Amino acid sequence: MVSMSFNIKPKYDKKINKSDLVKLFWRSIPYEHSWNYERMGNVGFTWAIMPILKKLYPQKDKFIHALKRNLELYNMTPYIVTLPLGISVAMEEANASNEDFDETSISAVKLALMGPLSGIGDSFFWGTLRVLATGIGTTLALKGSILGPILFFLVFNVPHYIMRYYGTFLGYSLGSNVINNVENSGMMDKITKYASMIGMMVVGAMTQEMVSVNFITKIGVGKSASTVQSLLDGIFPGIATLALFGVTYWMLKKKLNPLLIMFIILVVSIAAAYFKILGA
Amino acid sequence: MILKTFLIFLVGLLGYSEWLLGTSYLQRPIILGPLVGLVLGDLQSGIIMGATLELAMIGAVSIGAYDPPDLVSGSIIGISLAIETHAAPGAALTLGIPIAAIMQALGLATGQPLMLAFIHRCDSAAEKGNTKALTRNMLIAGYIQDWPGLVFIPLAFYFGSSTVAKLLNIIPQFVQDGMNVAAGLLPLLGFAMLAQMMMNKKVIAFFFFGFFLVAYGKISTTGVAIFAVIMAAIMYVFFDRDDKSQKGKDVKPSVEQESDGFDEF
Repeated sequence: MVSMSFNIKPKYDKKINKSDLVKLFWRSIPYEHSWNYERMGNVGFTWAIMPILKKLYPQKDKFIHALKRNLELYNMTPYIVTLPLGISVAMEEANASNEDFDETSISAVKLALMGPLSGIGDSFFWGTLRVLATGIGTTLALKGSILGPILFFLVFNVPHYIMRYYGTFLGYSLGSNVINNVENSGMMDKITKYASMIGMMVVGAMTQEMVSVNFITKIGVGKSASTVQSLLDGIFPGIATLALFGVTYWMLKKKLNPLLIMFIILVVSIAAAYFKILGA
Repeated sequence: MILKTFLIFLVGLLGYSEWLLGTSYLQRPIILGPLVGLVLGDLQSGIIMGATLELAMIGAVSIGAYDPPDLVSGSIIGISLAIETHAAPGAALTLGIPIAAIMQALGLATGQPLMLAFIHRCDSAAEKGNTKALTRNMLIAGYIQDWPGLVFIPLAFYFGSSTVAKLLNIIPQFVQDGMNVAAGLLPLLGFAMLAQMMMNKKVIAFFFFGFFLVAYGKISTTGVAIFAVIMAAIMYVFFDRDDKSQKGKDVKPSVEQESDGFDEF
């Protein structure tokens, strides 16, 4: 009953076919073009999956709803973004064809994959493959050989595009296999539960890791002077980040427009830098 | 000279298209160097200077939210001026690295807020289901953050870098500092929006669990994710595998499939 979960030749027995996935691969290429400090790869991810969403949700209100759901924060090593994209497509497909599908599971699974995949992707592509390409490329280029830049480009990008291309199909078949096997057994609820658990832990971890707050105001004089930040960290580490997170969360709860919150953050940052309260 | 300036601008445009073209490392000095060399009729120097800069900037990659010096303007301005003045390869470094640093600050101070405005326009486009507007704003957002480089690369090439460096220093230091602070704070908004969508009483504790694992344990997000998966597996085995009557056979594999996925990648 359980078929191979690792298959780059998925079955296309629902609405999505191979050419949709090939298109998804092409549209994954500009994924980082719109990478921003606020929600990172959200627009890139949404832009890639947009035609598939349009196909799956012909009713305009459902399409808009799906777009907005996908525009939440997302971050992924660009070279393997097709993997979570493919998984998302399989889940969106199931959601579109099944009224009872719990759509929060789509975001939960996306987020649960964000941490582990990015970590592995970053270290492989930026750590290993790039260093290899740079090593080969610069050795030749320093001697003035045009082969240097050419090999640099190929050593990095041939594996990159192979993995990016096949990641699309791997992700889709992985996603649809899991869904087919669990849809009727009540297992989906459990996957959603565990995925949101893992997802929430990843979001918590990323909040502490990627947000940087540094109160540089000095308290005390001479040698005993210490910054406010080190005092705060003495209460418990991360307290400043957590407090500001709470404030931002509260502003969102109060239905403040995110655009307005963004401007508040910009203005506060510049003012705090002017009065030397916050530093980078 | 006008033609050369235009061609230099095109090399810059290609460099800033890095992220549109799959983050394929077109913006690295080792690639831009030869292109600048080709434009100025000295391919050989371009290759060597590109490689010199490449080695100097090997640490300048954007991982996570770290924003490295602007490689595109640094490489192009540094290498083109070094070739024009028949200087040694090292000169490309001394000319290029300050430009890369100034340009990064300028991009952060002026490019990022502009970009975020267009990202929010993508939201309003989605609100109306307008895919064309979303595409347009996505494209503009990516290029508008790099406007300083697109404008100043040709200017610096045409007028010489010292004139441009003076011009660039008009942005007050506290604004540059402030934008560095903002770059650290802005992800708060993204994570808060995400949490608002995902957070409920059942999972809120896990947010704090992940948060404090990093705060106290100095573990990376990947590390936290590994612990999270292990914890989920333990919880499943001990508390959730309630279907022994089915011999657990058609149920069990699906979770294992998921963990297979993590293992293989």
